[in-house]
Amino acid sequence: MKGLRKYIAPFAPDQSGATAVFCELGGLVIILDAGGCAGNVCGFDEPRWFDSKSAIFSAGLRDMDAILGRDDKLVEKIAKACEKIDGNFVAVIGTPVPAVIGTDYSALKRMIEKKTGFPTVTVDTNGMELYDDGVKKASLELFRTFTGKNIFTRKDASGQQAETQSDSDGSTEVLPGTLGIIGATPMDVVETAEPDALARYYKEKGWQQVFIYGMGTGLADVERAHRAEKNLVIAPAGLAAAKYLEKKYGTPYEAAYPLETIPGFETLMEEVGKKERKKILIVHQQVLANSLREAIRESSEAEITVASWFMLEKELREEGDVHLKEEDQWMSLVRDGGYDLIIGESLFMRAVPEYAGDFLPLSHFAVSGKRHV
Amino acid sequence: MNNTAVETDNKASDMQSPAESCVSCYKENDASRRAFCLTAEELVKAGKDALADEMIINRNLIYSSPATLAFNSPGAQGFGVKRAGLAIPGSVMLLVAPGCCGRNTTILSELGGYSDRFYYLMMDETDIVTGRHLKKIPQAVQEIYDGREEKPSVVMICITCVDALLGTDMDRVCKKAQDAVGIPVLPCYMYALTREGRKPPMVHVRQSIYSLLEPRKKKSTSVNLLGHFAPLIDDCELYELLRQAGVKTIREISRCESYEEYLSMAEANFNLVLDAEARYAAEDIRKRLNIPWIELTRLYQMDKIARQYELFAAAIGVKMDDSVYRAQAEAAVEDFRKKYPKLTFSVGEGCNSNAFELSLALLRYGFSVAEIFSSIGENDFLYLEKIAKLSPQTRVYSNLEPTMIYYDCSEAPADITIGKDAAYYHPEAAHLEWSDDIQPFGYAGVRHFFTACEEVLEIHKYTM
Repeated sequence: MKGLRKYIAPFAPDQSGATAVFCELGGLVIILDAGGCAGNVCGFDEPRWFDSKSAIFSAGLRDMDAILGRDDKLVEKIAKACEKIDGNFVAVIGTPVPAVIGTDYSALKRMIEKKTGFPTVTVDTNGMELYDDGVKKASLELFRTFTGKNIFTRKDASGQQAETQSDSDGSTEVLPGTLGIIGATPMDVVETAEPDALARYYKEKGWQQVFIYGMGTGLADVERAHRAEKNLVIAPAGLAAAKYLEKKYGTPYEAAYPLETIPGFETLMEEVGKKERKKILIVHQQVLANSLREAIRESSEAEITVASWFMLEKELREEGDVHLKEEDQWMSLVRDGGYDLIIGESLFMRAVPEYAGDFLPLSHFAVSGKRHV
Repeated sequence: MNNTAVETDNKASDMQSPAESCVSCYKENDASRRAFCLTAEELVKAGKDALADEMIINRNLIYSSPATLAFNSPGAQGFGVKRAGLAIPGSVMLLVAPGCCGRNTTILSELGGYSDRFYYLMMDETDIVTGRHLKKIPQAVQEIYDGREEKPSVVMICITCVDALLGTDMDRVCKKAQDAVGIPVLPCYMYALTREGRKPPMVHVRQSIYSLLEPRKKKSTSVNLLGHFAPLIDDCELYELLRQAGVKTIREISRCESYEEYLSMAEANFNLVLDAEARYAAEDIRKRLNIPWIELTRLYQMDKIARQYELFAAAIGVKMDDSVYRAQAEAAVEDFRKKYPKLTFSVGEGCNSNAFELSLALLRYGFSVAEIFSSIGENDFLYLEKIAKLSPQTRVYSNLEPTMIYYDCSEAPADITIGKDAAYYHPEAAHLEWSDDIQPFGYAGVRHFFTACEEVLEIHKYTM
């Protein structure tokens, strides 16, 4: 039945994806909810929450706030928090409640900016879409609002001076050897033992500076994102932002996932190569799955299909790749697909207990909400 | 950027040197920013009608710190609406909501006994506009019923804020589903929006789970304990005291092994309400089944426990001898006090107690309470007034207030924390979560509490 899930619990929603983009940037992130959504985001979908004191708040909406549309009360609460909390911007993240009452995010943004003086971004997530939609919207808002605008060029998120004078002079000159990584959030990046594994990996490949937007990079680097030599999209949720930066600033991009940073990747490849495979199904976020397909193809003749419950961007898609929406569809795909190997989150296999082929687990935080390192 | 100093409790002169902060506080806190708190004395002096803005939840953004997730996120941990809704033996739950509302259920599903009891009907934007999701519910319930080898006794339909705003008549939808499938289908409301309203979600769910009880012939020797979703500790004296009063059958929903046994709760002579959130359910049962109810409060002050039993016995016209149990509990407190005579506690609200009542009990037993992390309810002032007399400088923090992001544990060092929230603030102290599903109560609760304190202090001693 359409919409009915009997085996697989819901995945991370768009509001969690949007929060993940802003989590490390030093702003006041306000989830426009009654409390439950913020609790889920912080307690379940944001692994960094437990190790850092990020300023993520719930608007604490109550029924009469929603019914009467008391945006002025909300702005008042936000203004009070801005006086008490060190921050450099305000991000307002939508949930089902504002979606139902039709909150005017543009008006809200203007009201908050006027009252607090803080630059404000709003993301009209609604809790009904998936995390990648939230990452996509938030990333676009982030670059549109801050890149090339010189709002924070003299100070980064922690108040430190920018590295060089040239960073703060509003220059648009490309910084040679600078790689921007877009779409990097804990939702899509398979957790590594060392937090800086991604940056180190690309520095070893010859890049001098690596800006990982969403994971480790501050607002000052977001402001000079237009000066990166190249952008790397490591999840489909980052593609729209990369296209925006390409169109506006001419920054080229490519989509690929650094598979070597995945803990146990070598073992995974060994397991894949142990048998002659005819049909392989990879279920993950599209960019990672595509990169894995390419890696397997180097040593296998198998027919490899990528399936994803999340974005399946046309320009990254091969013929035969499957966009999953319903649990029944997943069950039919496995039952009728004749795959002798499936690679993906263990959680998916609950729905297909009769599958008799091989299965290799590959974690995806947005699915399981589990940390593996 | 605004760098106005936070309005605080003016205790900068009492602050210990930063070197005494835990590592995280010392590194992260900006010297000009401090968490808002008031002393018990200040709170009482101002009075409950002049509570500081910072102490009133709906006047501020809510800081969902790791300290508060255990109790402030519906369904995140413990018995939220989802787990509570499955208290009826053999029941399953269909969550009809946007995907975000079901997200944390992945963890719940992994808890024992829940893995195959949750189902989801995911709403999209079209559902919100047209309400078409309501038409799908009977079909979804039918599909769930047909697909299960072991048929459910009841299907709970859990709906969330979206349907609260849409004004969905879920009773009517459930009736339709019930007609289709032939077993009870009940609504269950996870409306975070109404959390401080007249009938918040945890009150509503308690009413829902007892709503299937039908009038039965009363048995004078049968009593129900209402309020919790897990049983009391096995050696709780309340069981024995009820037996002294002639009660032969004591039922708790969590101990009912079958749906039939659950239905037999309708034969009770009276209900004992052990959690204030069950009052509404008890009153509903009184009206429908003519079963009266009496409320007993969980207390940690010995004399108050004794007095409560005395009043209870008088109310039901019997005599109860609690002297043995009281003596055991007093001995447990005395033993602990001998071992740890100068202990300082930090007490949170994320535990099986009222933080203020427990703090008052600890102060009366001769210990120190440096801090209490809790929202302040109207009745808490009764405890606060006494706390202010015994320990005027005890600090009271609101867990959910935004400036808690700047909390610095060096301001009020503690030897032991009670509750997950207090543990978060004092990483270097001994921690007693005291939040098990199995519920402490009465003298046995006091005994177990001090035994558990001793255990964590011993472990802490060897791990430091």
